[in-house]
Amino acid sequence: PPHFPQIPHPNPRNPSLAAADPSADLPAAAEMSRRYDSRTTIFSPEGRLYQVEYAMEAIGNAGSALGILAADGVVLVGEKKVTSKLLQSSRSAEKMYKIDSHLACAVAGIMSDANILINTARLHAQRYALSYQEPIPVEQLVQSLCDTKQGYTQFGGLRPFGVSFLFAGWDKNHGFQLYMSDPSGNYGGWKAAAVGANSQAAQSMLKQDYKDGMTREEAVALALKVLSKTMDSTSLTADKLELAEVFVQPGTGEVQYQVCSPDAMGKLLAKAGLTQPAPEA
Amino acid sequence: MVGKNCFAIASDRRLGVQLQTVATDFQRVFKIHGKLYIGLSGLASDAQTLYQRLVFKHKLYQLREERDMKPETFASLVSSMLYEKRFGPYFCQPIIAGLGQDDEPFICTMDCIGAKELAKDFVVSGTASESLYGACESMYKPNMEPEELFETISQALLSSVDRDCLSGWGGYVLIVTPTEVQERILKGRMD
Repeated sequence: PPHFPQIPHPNPRNPSLAAADPSADLPAAAEMSRRYDSRTTIFSPEGRLYQVEYAMEAIGNAGSALGILAADGVVLVGEKKVTSKLLQSSRSAEKMYKIDSHLACAVAGIMSDANILINTARLHAQRYALSYQEPIPVEQLVQSLCDTKQGYTQFGGLRPFGVSFLFAGWDKNHGFQLYMSDPSGNYGGWKAAAVGANSQAAQSMLKQDYKDGMTREEAVALALKVLSKTMDSTSLTADKLELAEVFVQPGTGEVQYQVCSPDAMGKLLAKAGLTQPAPEA
Repeated sequence: MVGKNCFAIASDRRLGVQLQTVATDFQRVFKIHGKLYIGLSGLASDAQTLYQRLVFKHKLYQLREERDMKPETFASLVSSMLYEKRFGPYFCQPIIAGLGQDDEPFICTMDCIGAKELAKDFVVSGTASESLYGACESMYKPNMEPEELFETISQALLSSVDRDCLSGWGGYVLIVTPTEVQERILKGRMD
């Protein structure tokens, strides 16, 4: 387990009480739940971890991301929250990250937190490859990252990571897989999942329209349709979205991770009948 | 060896323990990315481990910088990795060959603790290195096209390993141009 410094935590309600034990004196019931907010490492009387829940709140305000498992690949779509024209357009993606040649992820939440975890994931994947000379199975990578996230909910007194991930990958044991993980360190394997803003609405829409054995093309169309309905923006333009796919290259049999270029994105939106005229600048 | 907008890298195929030949298809030239190759002579175990560790570092570099490593940068990386083990070195002598900026060929070699030596024409390593120096020096000429480069490097390799009892059992030659990579196996004196 990671080593975290033990930070002595004064009670914010009464600074003179150093590291107050909440189970000691009992204040008025209304104030009671506030006492359990400040530390990640303790349960509330109702059995909840408030800091973890607050982290999930933070993610609920971030740009959404969707993942759909198809028969021949996995599709990840993300909504770019900040699209000011002052923003220097960088080549690299904002929501999608490659972790290894056969693994990628989409993020929703605090980007700086995400960067730390993605670095950790990349290192972990390479260390596995160095030891075993084969690519890391997707679930193992997800599990190790979630173990790290869990550490920040149990010891050290540090806040949890404010990021949810959608991992997409392929390995020889289980083929294409999609996993969703949240700040608590829980993860699950999904056929279709959504994180970020309006994820509940997106998830229920996916539940209705997802069909087993869809192709990647159908999955892309479904993802764009769902996002267009749940996104706040009035017009869906190629520069507000990011699309990435994990699939097997037909010629070489190698697993590929490909991010859709803005032009191809525009064409896909037009094909799905979702383009709307861009607002007058 | 450097040619005109291309390079060639070649090795023999023997793996032996003193007088015992253990394998005749041993891979000594490894790919880092499409335009960068490293040949590692010396202790086989160290060659394989060093290669695996370089792949580790290069993959992380690729993920972070979103591009392949330039040959010059890679050479510096290998040099520093070798020097890290200054007092317990990898028993390997690497040969690095790649196409750099504007597909300009780049070659270099270093000793087992990372002393880099850049060259414009050819670099050699291994038990037959002295023969190789002689053969390359006499056969090499600058700006050879890929086909002629292939002939030259093959002749230099085969004639040198024939003079060395610990090298041989055929050859493996890679010619890399900006557009394609050609791999060839040579049949020499199988002894």
